[in-house]
Amino acid sequence: MRIAVCLKQVPDPATVEVDPLTAALDTRRMLYIAGPADTAALELALRLAGPTGQVSALCVGPPAADAVLRMALAVGATEVRRLWVPPFLSLQAPAQTALLLAAGLQRATIPDLVLCGARSSDQGSGQAPALLAEFLDWPVVCDVTQIAMEGDRVRVQRRLDRGAREELEVRLPAVLAVEANLARLRHASLPGLMRAERASVPVSHLEDLGLEPADLAFPTASVRAVTPPRPRTRPIFTPDSTRPAHERITQIITAGVTRKSGKVLEGPPAQMADAVVEFLRERGFV
Amino acid sequence: MALLSKEASLALVQQVHRLIGMKNGVAPHDAPRPRPQRNAPRPGAERFDVIVVGAGPAGSAAALVAARAGLKVLLLERGEYPGAKNVSGAAFYGSAILHDLIPNWWEQAPVERYLTRRVLAFMTAETSVAIDFRTTRFAEPPYNGFSILRPKFDRWFADQAVAAGAFLLNAAVVDEVLWEDDQVVGVRVRRDEGDLRADVVIACDGANSFLAKNAGLQREFHAHEMSLGVKEVLALDEAIIRERFHLHDNDGLAIEYIGAITEEVSGGGFLYTNRDSLSLGVIGQISSLAEHKRRPYELLETFKRHPAVAPLVRGGRVREYSAHIIPEAGWNMLPKLYTGGMLVAGDAAALCFVAGLYLEGINYAIQSGIAAGETAVAAHQERDFSARSLARYVERLRARHVITDFANYRHAPALVNSPRLQNLYPEIIAAGAEQVFRVNGGPKRKLLPIALEALRRAQVSPVHVLQDALQAGRSFGW
Ligand SMILES: Cc1cc2nc3c(=O)[nH]c(=O)nc-3n(C[C@H](O)[C@H](O)[C@H](O)COP(=O)(O)OP(=O)(O)OC[C@H]3O[C@@H](n4cnc5c(N)ncnc54)[C@H](O)[C@@H]3O)c2cc1C
Repeated sequence: MRIAVCLKQVPDPATVEVDPLTAALDTRRMLYIAGPADTAALELALRLAGPTGQVSALCVGPPAADAVLRMALAVGATEVRRLWVPPFLSLQAPAQTALLLAAGLQRATIPDLVLCGARSSDQGSGQAPALLAEFLDWPVVCDVTQIAMEGDRVRVQRRLDRGAREELEVRLPAVLAVEANLARLRHASLPGLMRAERASVPVSHLEDLGLEPADLAFPTASVRAVTPPRPRTRPIFTPDSTRPAHERITQIITAGVTRKSGKVLEGPPAQMADAVVEFLRERGFV
Repeated sequence: MALLSKEASLALVQQVHRLIGMKNGVAPHDAPRPRPQRNAPRPGAERFDVIVVGAGPAGSAAALVAARAGLKVLLLERGEYPGAKNVSGAAFYGSAILHDLIPNWWEQAPVERYLTRRVLAFMTAETSVAIDFRTTRFAEPPYNGFSILRPKFDRWFADQAVAAGAFLLNAAVVDEVLWEDDQVVGVRVRRDEGDLRADVVIACDGANSFLAKNAGLQREFHAHEMSLGVKEVLALDEAIIRERFHLHDNDGLAIEYIGAITEEVSGGGFLYTNRDSLSLGVIGQISSLAEHKRRPYELLETFKRHPAVAPLVRGGRVREYSAHIIPEAGWNMLPKLYTGGMLVAGDAAALCFVAGLYLEGINYAIQSGIAAGETAVAAHQERDFSARSLARYVERLRARHVITDFANYRHAPALVNSPRLQNLYPEIIAAGAEQVFRVNGGPKRKLLPIALEALRRAQVSPVHVLQDALQAGRSFGW
């Protein structure tokens, strides 16, 4: 079985330093890693592919992202590729990432399954997997919490709101975006680590992918200015000056917290309806 | 944060306290330790000419020298990158040494400021008397010293070893040395299939070296031989630093503090200027920290509140906080520096020079790393890795003045940590200076009577003073 895993390089939270004077991120000592959802996807790929299968890892990112792909090689990925379009992608939009990934996948032997992390740990919009499936014209399941292979199909469980789950069956090839807690990445063996450290990571640029700059011209956000956050102002409670003194003192003591009071209407329906309308009119809603 | 977080540092401090036993402040060093089991490498382990453990200044220097000679060198580092976990002041006084290895190294390395001003301050709780040395001669290449930030510097230095051909492997913790017939032949890394072979293993794994102990080259330490340093980096505007410390563009200053700064605990304080931050910290002897039940970070706070220090650090915002052990007893702590197939360098060999006005470890780490690298190269030329062949490491250390410095200053640590030097003399100097400078309408007094009176008040017999003077002379003077 051939599985491709898409990894995004995100800052290692342990190395993120905020300059205490300007509140800007100090990128000089920042190290890049793959986020927890992406490493879960990689671990699942290694397990599903088994010892004879092929696991290839792709990453859209600058040269520093090689570290992420080396990590994948160290734990057993059979092939890696970095995709990059400098300096066009300084602010990477999910659609651009997905298009590059799709092009990268189509250039090599098409895999049976593509696994992604459900959300990156920096921006976390979770769009790339769905957009990738769109470009490939494959089915996609996001927020996957369980995976079981059944021949050329895969049974997955998907997380819905409020603890609900949905079971689905998908025909391969497909894109699955898995949640972070699904699997924990194995430790690399020493020979694996050394092999990865010695490997050179192949890079594909636009022309290698058969793309033109215009293909990436999606509407994107652009950074105009970066300003340090201003401390949030805290509203100071002032008592209602129209109230008598003892009430104002009570207001100050309770810091203005009052219990919500409700009114329960009783009586015949018509009378109750009138009361509601009257209530709304009093407060200027109708 | 790349360095130890405050919590982690506190945990380290607590661990140290537990280790040494808070009650008497004495390490259970005399308890006989079972000799660790000696394992051989598993078949199929990859082979290197030299394996260097630890990518601090000692390790990178050793790897650089060996790789330049064309040897197949592996540099193993437990951190995510070299320097990720390294702590130090840091004032680096090995510029000339490094210049021999990498000409004009300061032009490409991440340095903060070259040090042209050095201050030695004697403190009491309210007073400070300082010797302020400043020279433009230290502002000329190859410079005398630089303030550096270790996470940046160590990474750069390890990269130089890599550029020379060494293979650097991060995230690799060495758990033990491997043996065949009383000869070290490799190391075991804490990973699956973690065995590696090498003709020479150079242990540069820092203070309280696990490897040196594992190989039976180092004894357990006494609590009075180790100090705990806690350090902060405070961010401060570049222009403010220049104004506040009377500096020109890129020159800098290093202050060492002796006296009440550490209250009743033996130790001292330091403050170095970086480009846009200050490195400052206190160092406390572990046995006396334990004896007085003081936490080092409390001392750091006391230090920062001292009337002579507070105005210097005003407005600085904490950027990082860290703690680390320092081997202090110099000559008396030196391990056996080699055995068949293995050499020990840097802090791992306790080659850290701490004596009042001196806190130098990085330069000795680089010196000993170079000497170890050269010894490994010579051993390869003769294909002889026996203890007899590696014994020439000691000669090389002597030629580089490492061994000789430690031998000459072997009395200094005990003197510097004595209560009279730690507290009484700074007290007397401060009180004496106050008398000299105070104008209150009384008669002007001469120096000797002031000094004698101060001694009398402190109930110190002139015999003791004479003893200390001789001791100081023997330690620092001749
Ligand atoms: C607070 C403080 C202030 C100091 N100030 C100064 C100063 O101003 N000037 C000065 O010259 N010196 C100073 N020193 C001393 C100086 O830091 C040391 O002497 C110097 O760092 C020694 O270098 P090293 O290479 O021997 O060891 P280290 O710098 O400690 O490097 C050891 C390396 O080995 C790695 N390692 C450890 N164990 C293993 C293992 N099992 N497997 C793999 N890797 C391992 C570590 O991660 C580390 O990278 C200070 C020390 C402290 C604590």
